[in-house]
Amino acid sequence: MTTRPAPTVQGAASSRTARAARLVPALETALRLFLAGLFAYASLDKIAHPDQFAAIIRDYRLLPQTAVPFTAVVLPWLEAVLALALVLGKWREGALFLSVALLVAFFASLVANMARGLDVSCGCFSTAKDGGGNMAWYLARDGFFVLAGLAAWYLGVWRRRSPDG
Amino acid sequence: MQLVRKTIMQSFLLVAIAMTAGLAVNALRPDGLPLAGATPSTVTLPGDSTDIALKDAVILSMSRRAVFLDARTDFEFADGHIQGALSVPVDDFERIFPGIEKELAGKDAVIAYCDGERCPLSGELAAKLAARGVKNVYVLKNGWTLWNNEGLPVEKGR
Repeated sequence: MTTRPAPTVQGAASSRTARAARLVPALETALRLFLAGLFAYASLDKIAHPDQFAAIIRDYRLLPQTAVPFTAVVLPWLEAVLALALVLGKWREGALFLSVALLVAFFASLVANMARGLDVSCGCFSTAKDGGGNMAWYLARDGFFVLAGLAAWYLGVWRRRSPDG
Repeated sequence: MQLVRKTIMQSFLLVAIAMTAGLAVNALRPDGLPLAGATPSTVTLPGDSTDIALKDAVILSMSRRAVFLDARTDFEFADGHIQGALSVPVDDFERIFPGIEKELAGKDAVIAYCDGERCPLSGELAAKLAARGVKNVYVLKNGWTLWNNEGLPVEKGR
């Protein structure tokens, strides 16, 4: 009688791998669409009101004055373009990289201003001047977005990279 | 390596698309933001008239963005004038203008003044300056009295 490794264990392991193999693309797509929705939603109000968004950027006191109007004009469109690329799943490497970079930059701006004790309005999803608001909540929320972005990049880019890459 | 190159190329293209779209839309929309020289100033220079407000004249004066031209007579100028002003009596305009022309270039405002609410000299001087192609010519109505009343810097002599 030939000895065989316990079939039940191997079967369970392979079905777990199979389930994970099915789950990972679904999770990756979900995260990607979540980020797309996030950026699309964030871009709308800023595209509609560039002057108010410029005032918010100015309040952050991180950029030189001369760079403010340009940023206020281009940044919302970068969010919109990223949203489109993420929805379509095109240019995945660049889109996910820029998404993470933007989210980290937003998070860092909030942290910088919290450290300086400046009570800025977030300007994250709306150009309404909300007079500061709850900084801890903004930080927690943006921290979560950064993690979501990193996860999407890991699943969408890093796991898929070609072995020679 | 391939991943890095792909990431950089795609990021570059995405940013380029966003820049093109953003700048194009900004140029087309009526309420687009001015992108260059957009440092905000509280000075409001009138677009439809030549009258400048005293407050604006003071700010431009202190930041050396304006030059004042005194349209009154030599005698009145010597008795007291806005600090740094040049004496340009209207009747002597043709004789004096070539000598001061280069001091007027590149200023945000060339401000003519005389004394009195209805004094016509500053308006006449402004018209002559504009006719010679001087840009940003303004009139500070009743300039000498307004300036003097506020205790702003003045000087005597010519």
